[in-house]
Amino acid sequence: MDPVTNWVLVILGEILVSIGVFFDVVAAIGMLRFPNFFVRLHAATIGAIGGAFVPLMGVALIAAGCDFLGKYRWFIAGAAAVTGVLVLMLAPVGSHLLAKAAHESRAAVVEPKVVDFLEEDKAKEGGEQ
Amino acid sequence: MMSLENEVLLFITIVIPIFLAAFIMYIVRALKGPTIPDIVLAVDCLSYDLAAFLALLSIYFRSPILIPCAIVLALWIYALDVYVSKYLMKKEMGE
Repeated sequence: MDPVTNWVLVILGEILVSIGVFFDVVAAIGMLRFPNFFVRLHAATIGAIGGAFVPLMGVALIAAGCDFLGKYRWFIAGAAAVTGVLVLMLAPVGSHLLAKAAHESRAAVVEPKVVDFLEEDKAKEGGEQ
Repeated sequence: MMSLENEVLLFITIVIPIFLAAFIMYIVRALKGPTIPDIVLAVDCLSYDLAAFLALLSIYFRSPILIPCAIVLALWIYALDVYVSKYLMKKEMGE
């Protein structure tokens, strides 16, 4: 590939990686400062998707663009894209599972509680059975 | 205009400490997390970002060995979530 497309790919990849790193730091700060588990879930999924999927796609573009890698170039690009798609599929399901388990087993209590509709639905459902 | 190689390596050396700062914050939350799901959530997020970090390092070190490790790490973290949530709900791990 001629140098122009190499440079375009690398610059695009670097933009994606820098966006991903920004999301990663924001999610890490969110994980520290949020009050309870269920609010932290929001920060964690930002960290998982914005902080892992986006940089992985950026790495895939950078690896596709930089020709100094020689024969490993397309290997790293393809494998990074595959990892990105895997993370994209696995992260939401994993955190959803965790949220359901935490709420059902009351391992994580909802401290600053305004309203908890799931609990009310369950109480209503429990009453009907 | 810098050569492509120096530009990419310079960019990666800039990005690595920012990634490490985020990792430290996740580790602090993992150690501090009051409840079990907090710890699992912090480790979960830390390891997905570690997979991205490994992919980035594989360009820096020009070695493709790190990438399969990143794929396996992402799969293991999903397994961790499944096992912990299964244990929390049914108090058994499904062996």
